[in-house]
Amino acid sequence: MQRPLSPFMFPTWYRFQITSTLSILHRLTGIALSAGSILLAWWLVAVAAGGQLFAATHAFIASPIGMLLLFLWSVAFFYHLCSGIRHLAWDAGYGFEIRNAYRSGYAVLAATALLTVLTWLYVGLA
Amino acid sequence: MADVRSLANSTALRDESALRRVQHLGSARDGLREWRVQRWTAVALIPLGLYFAASVLRLATSDHMTATAWLASPVGALLVMLFVLAGLAHALVGLRSVLLDYVHTRARLFVGELLVRAGTVILAGASVLAILKLFLGR
Repeated sequence: MQRPLSPFMFPTWYRFQITSTLSILHRLTGIALSAGSILLAWWLVAVAAGGQLFAATHAFIASPIGMLLLFLWSVAFFYHLCSGIRHLAWDAGYGFEIRNAYRSGYAVLAATALLTVLTWLYVGLA
Repeated sequence: MADVRSLANSTALRDESALRRVQHLGSARDGLREWRVQRWTAVALIPLGLYFAASVLRLATSDHMTATAWLASPVGALLVMLFVLAGLAHALVGLRSVLLDYVHTRARLFVGELLVRAGTVILAGASVLAILKLFLGR
């Protein structure tokens, strides 16, 4: 039993491939970003309300936990963006060959890392 | 696969012909509309999302004046509102498809859909109200 085929056997027997892993990650980051939209709406309301609410929200975002959440949000966002463009290409009928699917998968990971790093460099400099 | 290849032919009226084929033969009753909403919002979210991510990560830790000025400016207010609405419409379709895949009891599915729909509408309403207040009150 070198490589059982069913994902239901993870994590003990199932060997992950980049294709299935990225597919699962697309869903997980989508769910995470949906949860993040609660914080986004909260932040918008806090800016509109001002005063005590904004001060408390601002203190939370600037705290280590807040900055970590912000960083994780950016990673999830850029991954979902790049992976989503890959899905749109598939929807249009491009890139189904296994070799191309693997290549675009690695390209998505590289682009995610690049965009995340560039964004935080931009944030740090601004 | 032959059909897929013909879809990639840019000289064909591919969307129209694909739509006709799905409506005529596919299992699509109301799912097709959602599929298209998900794709159109995805396309819109590419530029909107890049603008929003670049702006919000820079402004998230800024003071109240800076954040207010951003959301009160016409371009900022419009683009953030469009981002929130497109994002939540996109999220609604995505979350519903997750529920449909993993929730197999009718009652639980109903409750799940209700929560997801209500949550999305409330978040959209709160975000739009907040942006409108800042934009109109500047």
